[in-house]
Amino acid sequence: MKNNQKKLKRKSMGAKAKRRLSNTIIYIILVIMTVVWLFPFVGIVLESFKTETKMQTGYLFPREFGFTHYERLFKETDFLLWFKNTAIMGIATAFLQTFFILSMSYTLSRLRFKGRKFLMNFMLILGMFPGFLTMILIYKVFADFGLIMEMAPLGLIIVYCASSGMGYYVSKGFFDTIPKSLDEAARVDGATRWQVFYKVIMPLSKPIVIYTILMGFMAPWGDFMLASYLIHENSEGMSVAVGMFEWLSATNLNTNYTMFCAAGVIVAIPVVTVFLLLQKYYVEGVTGGAVKG
Amino acid sequence: MATLKLTNVKKVYGKDTVAVDNFNLDIADKEFIVFVGPSGCGKSTTLRMIAGLEDISGGTIEIDGVVVNDLQPRDRNIAMVFQNYALYPHLTVFENMAFSLRLKKAPQDEVYEKVTKAAEILGITEYLTRKPRALSGGQRQRVAIGRAMVRDSKVFLMDEPLSNLDAKLRNQMRAEIILLRQKIDTTFIYVTHDQTEAMTLGDRIVIMKDGFIQQVGTPTEVFDMPINLFVAEFIGAPKMNTFKTNLVCENGNYYVTPYGAKIAVTGKKAEMLKEKGVGSGEVILGVRPEHFVLSNSANPGAIPCKIVVNEMMGSELHLHVVEENGDRLIVRIPTVSLEDEQRKALVYGSTIYVTFEGKVMHFFDPETQKNLLV
Repeated sequence: MKNNQKKLKRKSMGAKAKRRLSNTIIYIILVIMTVVWLFPFVGIVLESFKTETKMQTGYLFPREFGFTHYERLFKETDFLLWFKNTAIMGIATAFLQTFFILSMSYTLSRLRFKGRKFLMNFMLILGMFPGFLTMILIYKVFADFGLIMEMAPLGLIIVYCASSGMGYYVSKGFFDTIPKSLDEAARVDGATRWQVFYKVIMPLSKPIVIYTILMGFMAPWGDFMLASYLIHENSEGMSVAVGMFEWLSATNLNTNYTMFCAAGVIVAIPVVTVFLLLQKYYVEGVTGGAVKG
Repeated sequence: MATLKLTNVKKVYGKDTVAVDNFNLDIADKEFIVFVGPSGCGKSTTLRMIAGLEDISGGTIEIDGVVVNDLQPRDRNIAMVFQNYALYPHLTVFENMAFSLRLKKAPQDEVYEKVTKAAEILGITEYLTRKPRALSGGQRQRVAIGRAMVRDSKVFLMDEPLSNLDAKLRNQMRAEIILLRQKIDTTFIYVTHDQTEAMTLGDRIVIMKDGFIQQVGTPTEVFDMPINLFVAEFIGAPKMNTFKTNLVCENGNYYVTPYGAKIAVTGKKAEMLKEKGVGSGEVILGVRPEHFVLSNSANPGAIPCKIVVNEMMGSELHLHVVEENGDRLIVRIPTVSLEDEQRKALVYGSTIYVTFEGKVMHFFDPETQKNLLV
């Protein structure tokens, strides 16, 4: 009996030590991953404050700390205009895309109509083709409608939003988890389908609404390929990604590298701000108590 | 308050899955109707068709003489309580109950008055500011009922409202629904799979199976004169014992011979057999567990059997017994009628003799399974 107890005690102590060791290893790996992941971001921020140089250097911390590259950004370039263009695109895309995606997802989640399954599969397969396959066609059509060059931001908003409904999967999956009896209860209570959507489903879908807004807002900031194609050589409708890319050409790199980093930091500000503002709503568990759980 | 008329109502899912067929029913104003049946019998589907949540594949549904087949749920002026409560989790209890009134843009005073009145009736006034997640199952169910109450609707639909509650709360809520019915005095349609709820709540019960109505009647009617074997076995707990036996008609007197015993048919049942001109032949005999009595071996009507399960329910004893041929019967004996010695003898493996009176028998046709006396 006593022997058994001793064995059990030894075993439990062994388990404790084992757990401590495995936790230590896991934390070491996590710390290494965090450093690797954060390094480029910290590097860019530090790079943007190096007033002593305009080109790439072999060291991390600035020798002279200052805002000269930020000053240059606003005084010598059209960065503010590009920023404004991209911000407009981001805000418009965020709202329109969210509306389209959520309407589409709700429809596919709740309504049963002929061809629904086919439509869902068709969109899924269509979405597997890379977007740039259609670029030449988009350019031709948009050129005819005058939606390139200085009008490119409008053209880009149309492109970003036009096919956005095809990205229905995530939000449809979310809507599928909201009990259908809530819709039914609201309909019996006197609500139209639209009222059910915005009075019952939307308040319960905050996480997915926020997610969709964030995705829509961020897309134009990082899009280079299609944007450069529609905007080409015109700075009136230029977006930050296309404009900044010019600074990295072989002839410009040595004079613009640090300014590029400064612009990168500024571009990150709206995205981070939007995320921080919205992330408090980005929590789940709002449906508690709706139905018998 | 309203009358309902369902004529040849049919529901087909896909191409050939028939959920409800040939459903005909007239519901009077202020009547409490209960749809009851096993899972998949079409009772909830019928209720949902009345609510407008399911399309109708055939037939017509009229509310107060108006065909509502193509009306949206919001235009039918009905209220519904769902099995899983379906409360809006982002709204407080007050706003949950006020939801329909707000949609109608009712004045604030009216909203306040109606919601507080309903809350008072249901005893949930102190929870009005809480969110549904902070309520217990019973409280949530009350809110769901309250939400339906404030609408002053023509018809009150309830889809298995008590099935998610525990047994004790279910009994309590069942009594409260009876009280509620007296207070809000409207037409009720109540769906349940629990025959006890059906018997205790309904003015009339609609018993369904495989999408078809089996019988419509008052609780007493369906209990005393089940139209077929299915209804006989479905209504009553524990279920009716049924076994094949011979019905013998001799000189105008009827008797049955279950398991070698000989028991005369007496009373109204004997008269009815005579009236219907039923002759000798094989029948399915139905005897409810509570109609069995303990007997002694000397009685010619005594059936010997062995106890296999003894369920002590407190006020009564449920004995599952096996007769010599291997047929299983359930016998329900009030404990108050048993001496201590007798009770102690009723244990697993012991042999007992049971019998029943001639006036409590039910006779069913072995082929059609229909009640021979209806």
